[in-house]
Amino acid sequence: MSAALPIPVIQLLQVLTVALGAPAVTGVIATVEARLQGRRGPRVLQPYYDLAKLCRKEALAPSGATAFFLAAPLIAVAAYLTIPLLIPVLTSYGLPLGYMGDILGGGFLLSLASFVVAVAALETGSPYAQLGSSRAKTFSAITEPVVLFVVFTVALLTGTDLPYALAATVRSSAGQVIRPAHLLASAALFMVILHETGRIPVETHTGTNEFGMIEEARSFEHSGPYLALLKWGSMLKQMILFTILSDVFLVPWGLASTQRLGSVLLAIVALLAKACAVGVVVAVIDNSFAKLRLFKITEYASAAFLLAVLGVFTLYLGGG
Amino acid sequence: MTGVPGVYTGAANAIAAVMLLLEFGMLRQALARDQVRLYAVQSALISVLAVVIAADRNLPDLYALAALSAALKVVAVPLVLRRLLPGSVVVSEEPPGVAGSHTLSPASAVLATIALAAFGFFAVGSLHMGGPGAPALALAIAAAMVFVAFGLMIIRKDVASQAIGFFSLENGISLAALVVAAGLPLIFETAFLFDLLVAVVVFGMLIRAHHGRADSLSTADLTRLRG
Repeated sequence: MSAALPIPVIQLLQVLTVALGAPAVTGVIATVEARLQGRRGPRVLQPYYDLAKLCRKEALAPSGATAFFLAAPLIAVAAYLTIPLLIPVLTSYGLPLGYMGDILGGGFLLSLASFVVAVAALETGSPYAQLGSSRAKTFSAITEPVVLFVVFTVALLTGTDLPYALAATVRSSAGQVIRPAHLLASAALFMVILHETGRIPVETHTGTNEFGMIEEARSFEHSGPYLALLKWGSMLKQMILFTILSDVFLVPWGLASTQRLGSVLLAIVALLAKACAVGVVVAVIDNSFAKLRLFKITEYASAAFLLAVLGVFTLYLGGG
Repeated sequence: MTGVPGVYTGAANAIAAVMLLLEFGMLRQALARDQVRLYAVQSALISVLAVVIAADRNLPDLYALAALSAALKVVAVPLVLRRLLPGSVVVSEEPPGVAGSHTLSPASAVLATIALAAFGFFAVGSLHMGGPGAPALALAIAAAMVFVAFGLMIIRKDVASQAIGFFSLENGISLAALVVAAGLPLIFETAFLFDLLVAVVVFGMLIRAHHGRADSLSTADLTRLRG
C-alpha cells in the first residue's frame, strides 16, 4: 500500500486537493461561525450543493457586455488553480513545476484573477459591481506594501523567494521559528489574509450591506455556472492563502517527504486539517471583533505594515 | 544572511519585538485605562525576558529582579496610576481629554513613528555594540522603544498619555540595561525601580493638579496664557 507515485500525479494531486478541498474548508468555517453565533448552521458539505445548484441554472449577461464578461470567471479560476503548482501543498521537496514562479509569481496570479473580475464588473455598468471592484482595487493597493515587505523578509531569511525554500528554512531549527523576523512576517501575512478573505476589518464576508461590501458585490451581475465559478474562485483563494500561511510560514510540518502513496495521503489529510484549523481561528477572530468603518481600513493596514517593516528591520541588524 | 541565533537569543529578541509592538499599541490606544493595561503587559514581558536571560546565562540574581520588577511594574504602578487618574474612582469612567488627543491621524502617527523607530534601530545598529552576551537586535529594539515612547509623548496631547509614554520609556531603558548589563548588582536595579515609583507619584500629582485646574487632561488648554 505504499507504492511510489510518479511526480506528475503528485503535482496533479496538489491542484485537486486545493480545488476539491476548498469548499469543504468554507463549509467548516460556516458551521463554526454559525455555532459561535448560536445557530445550528448549514451542513459542512453545503458549499458543494450550492455550487452544483448554480451550475444547473441559466446564465445571463447584461446587455452590452462583451464576451470578456463571461470569460473572466474562467480566467480567474484558471489563475487560482495554477497557484497550487507553485507552493508546497503536499510535498516538502520541490516539484518540477514548482519552480515556474516564486512568491511574487503567485502574487501576480492572485492579482490577475482579481483584476479580470474587476474588469468584468466594469463591463456590466452595475453600480454595485463597480463599487465592489473599485473598493477591492483600492484596498489591495493599501495592503500591497505589507505583502512586499513580507516577501522582503522571506528573501532576507532564505536568500531566495521560493516558498519551498522558506518552508525548509522554518523546518530546519527551532531558532528559525522563534526569530522575530519570522514571527512578525507571519503575523503581518495573517493580517493581510484576514483582510483578503473579507473577514476583518470592514466586511461581513457574506453580507450584502453597501457600507462594508467588497468581495460579495463584485459578482452581482453574474449568474448560473459563471457565478458558481466566481464563488468557487473565492473559496480557492481562501484555501490558497490558508495553505501559504500554514505550509510556508506557520506549520510546514506534515508534508510528504517521499513519493510514497501513504505519505502523500497523509499530507492531504494534514493539509485539510491545517486549513480547517486556520479557518476556525479566523472565524473566532471574525466573530469576536467589531467591524470598523470603511475608511478606518488604513489604520488596520498601517498596523500590518508596522509588523512587516519591523520584520525587515530586525533582519538588517543580523541575527533577527 | 548571517547565522541563525540560538533559541534563547531568538526568544529574547522576539520578546523585545513584542514590547516594541506594545509601545505602538499604546500610541494608538484611545483610552487611558487600555494604555495602562498595555503598559502592565509590557512590564510583564520585561520580567519574562529577565527570567529568560537568567536561565540562559545562569544569573540567579535576575530571578529576584524579575519578581521585584513584576510586583512593582505589573501590579503596583498600574494600580497607583489607575487610582491617580481623575474620574477613575468609578472604574468604568474614562478620564476626560484622553480619547481623541491625537495630533495626527492614527495611520499617519504609526507611519511617523515607524520612521522614528527606524532611526533608533539603525543609529544603534551602526554602533556595532552587540556581542555574544548582548544581542545587538534587542539593544536596537530598546533604542527604537525609547524613540517611539518619545513619539507617543509628542503625538498625544494629553497628560495621561504623556505620563504613560514616560513610564514605558523607562521600560525601554530597562530593556537596554537588561541586555547590555544583565549582571548589574541587584541593589542598583532595585534603586532604579523605586525611582520609577517616585516618578509615578509625582506624575500622578501633576495629572491631578492639571485636571483640577482645567477639568480635562488635554494639554491643549495649556497653550492659553490666561485661564
